[in-house]
Amino acid sequence: MQRHHYTALAFLFLGVIVSAIASRDFLSMRAPDVLYPSRFVTKTGMLSGYCPDIHGTYGDTPVYYFESGQPGATILLLGGTHPNESAGFIAAAVLVENVRLAKGRLIVVPQACASGFTATDPLEASPMSFTLTTRSGERVFRSGARGGNPIHQWPDPLVYRHYPSGQQLSGMESRNLNRSYPGNPNGTFMEKNGHALLQLIKTEKVDIAFDLHEAAPEVMIINAIITHEKGSDIAATAVLNLELEDLKYSLELSPKNFHGLSHREWGDSASVIPFLMETSNPIQGRLRGATNVNLLLNGKDKFYSIASQLTNVRITYEPDGEPLSLRVGRHLQGFRRLIESYNEQHPDNTAIVENIPEYHSVIERGVGNFLK
Amino acid sequence: MPLELIILLSMLAVFAGGVFWLKLPSGVAMGAAAVVGALVGGQGIPVRHLVEGTFGYLDAMLIIATAMIFMKVVEATGALGTISYSMIKSLYRYPTLLMILVAFFVMFPGMMTGLSSACILTTGALVAPALVGMGIPAASVGAFIAMMAVFGMIAPPINIPVMIIGGGVDMPYVGFEKPLIMLTFPLAIATALYYRFRFIRKINVDEILEKLPRSVYAKHGIKLFLPLFIVIGLMVGIRIAPDAIPDIGIPLIFMIGAVVGIRTGEKVAVIDVARTAIRESLPVLGILAGVGMFVQIMTLTGVRGYLAVSALQLPPEFLYPGIALIMPAMGSAYAASSVIGVPLVFVFLGRNEIVVTSALSLIAGIGDLMPPPSLLCVFAAQLLGIKNHFTVLKAAAVPIVIALLAGVLAIIFAADIGSLLK
Repeated sequence: MQRHHYTALAFLFLGVIVSAIASRDFLSMRAPDVLYPSRFVTKTGMLSGYCPDIHGTYGDTPVYYFESGQPGATILLLGGTHPNESAGFIAAAVLVENVRLAKGRLIVVPQACASGFTATDPLEASPMSFTLTTRSGERVFRSGARGGNPIHQWPDPLVYRHYPSGQQLSGMESRNLNRSYPGNPNGTFMEKNGHALLQLIKTEKVDIAFDLHEAAPEVMIINAIITHEKGSDIAATAVLNLELEDLKYSLELSPKNFHGLSHREWGDSASVIPFLMETSNPIQGRLRGATNVNLLLNGKDKFYSIASQLTNVRITYEPDGEPLSLRVGRHLQGFRRLIESYNEQHPDNTAIVENIPEYHSVIERGVGNFLK
Repeated sequence: MPLELIILLSMLAVFAGGVFWLKLPSGVAMGAAAVVGALVGGQGIPVRHLVEGTFGYLDAMLIIATAMIFMKVVEATGALGTISYSMIKSLYRYPTLLMILVAFFVMFPGMMTGLSSACILTTGALVAPALVGMGIPAASVGAFIAMMAVFGMIAPPINIPVMIIGGGVDMPYVGFEKPLIMLTFPLAIATALYYRFRFIRKINVDEILEKLPRSVYAKHGIKLFLPLFIVIGLMVGIRIAPDAIPDIGIPLIFMIGAVVGIRTGEKVAVIDVARTAIRESLPVLGILAGVGMFVQIMTLTGVRGYLAVSALQLPPEFLYPGIALIMPAMGSAYAASSVIGVPLVFVFLGRNEIVVTSALSLIAGIGDLMPPPSLLCVFAAQLLGIKNHFTVLKAAAVPIVIALLAGVLAIIFAADIGSLLK
């Protein structure tokens, strides 16, 4: 053998070692998160119940039902539409593990884009998981990618053409669940997921639906409630009530010409009134410093502190950071006030959700205290 | 000195030292720089991040590898030589017209796919021998093709940097055609004229044709160009008739073109051609893997955020020059669009956002030429057999400055341009 053969063998050996170490990390993301549903959960199902095509795929995901036995409105709440937006997933998990229904029904899908929880986005350096100290000790939760795992839908086209509008978006959006609605039963992996969720809405005759998100602090629509035009009155009342609690929210109407989003397509395709809520999450931001679990949990970042002082760009960032407990607390409080507002405007078809943790309690005690 | 700046300088020093002192391949030097950046940033050797970074450009790697196989097949069949030969023979009397036509010809795949490298690897490769034959130095031919690749990527109908910025600010990809045409077409013509009047003097057509491979059109007829028709036809067809033609992906399109090409001209030694193509593309694939690691570690350690915040912190008098310098310095159109383009749209709110975003995409597009990856210069250098790809970058200096100036002026006068284009 010549010298370059030895070099090649050495690199091959190094490659095997590196692959083995990295594979162990990547494969660990396939282990599902464990939730401990409240005793008031009356039924647990799978999303594939609404679209058999996704059965056995990484698109299938648990669905939790709370049924009061009293007639009333049906509520749907999605967390984890974007698995890197951890407050949405954790807020949904808190609901699954705590609430009870006194009237109407509540359906919760904590990990709407289950596929995205099995991967992280290359070049983003995001943590794969984070640990919360809960009532029973430490629990690990996954933090995933913005879209689905590319192994489950690959390759991305250069340009994603939304079905059925034909709207063009960058190719990576083809794996974004919140650009896939109304979905397509004969479409791509993600379009089938979008279709399954819309089928859930139609089959269960959902009256009011929530899609929990987070966004970078420099994004304009932040700490916001975005709704279809048919939800504007409900949202306006809720925003006023939240304002009285010193919780500032902006009310945004869903653009009519921007397709694929839950707040647009759910409202256009079904009788449901959709709401999407956003909190400010520095780990998603482009200006963030070191990317790690600490930033995900505490939401404190020196570059956002600097940027929030700038006058040439609007940054939504609290001086003490945007910790996970605050972000989850905002989602839970927004959920509570929107349901109250809905009940006020639909007195003949109300839903009563009890034991939603209070915003200030979540911040003071930490979100882990509301998980088993 | 902030830690992030120390990390960045360490990474750049290791990269430069690796390339210029140790003569390492760029990809390896970049990987080493990423490891050192992680160590300086207190991250140890983060194997998962280094591996994940290499996947950041996986799709681009597949496109390049398959495109190289396709181009080698087309070269072996004689189609490539025939096109260059015919182009010179028919248009040598009108070099100005020829250069302008060639400019748009090179841009075409980028306009249709939104991918700058597609221009160099397809139409760029077709015209390169003819341009060299006409007396333009190889580095300047590379620079001309690389610039057209940038303009092709930015010109409508498909502009992915705009889509990336739009995705970050919830702006649909609607109404960008006019500003993008206004930004790119005049720049493409000006660049073509710059190289034409700088280098092309009296053309001795017989001498040029003597240096080029003979045309084999008479022997094989129109079927010689079948693989090109198929590749360009599929790329365009997917865009204009998406319901009829499924998007099978650019790598598969190139592979179909390569397979079809085997029996359309001169005899092709398939295994040898494929092996040569992969061997020649390996350095580029290595660079892409290295760039992925480099960017991932920049993100992990906060260097990326440091650069983005530094851009926003620039005082007003330095803001525009700062944009023109920092955005391309991201070394990638897509990275510059996402990391700096999105916050900058918010900075310029109130002007015409469509014009601002179009201009930002042009400035970001220049990033594909810039080191450390210098992706388009590397491709162009490889195509023309140039060892040092920085000579291509140097030869593109004037058009780069003009393009950046045009982009900055478009931002400054965005509101006025927006009213004019209504």
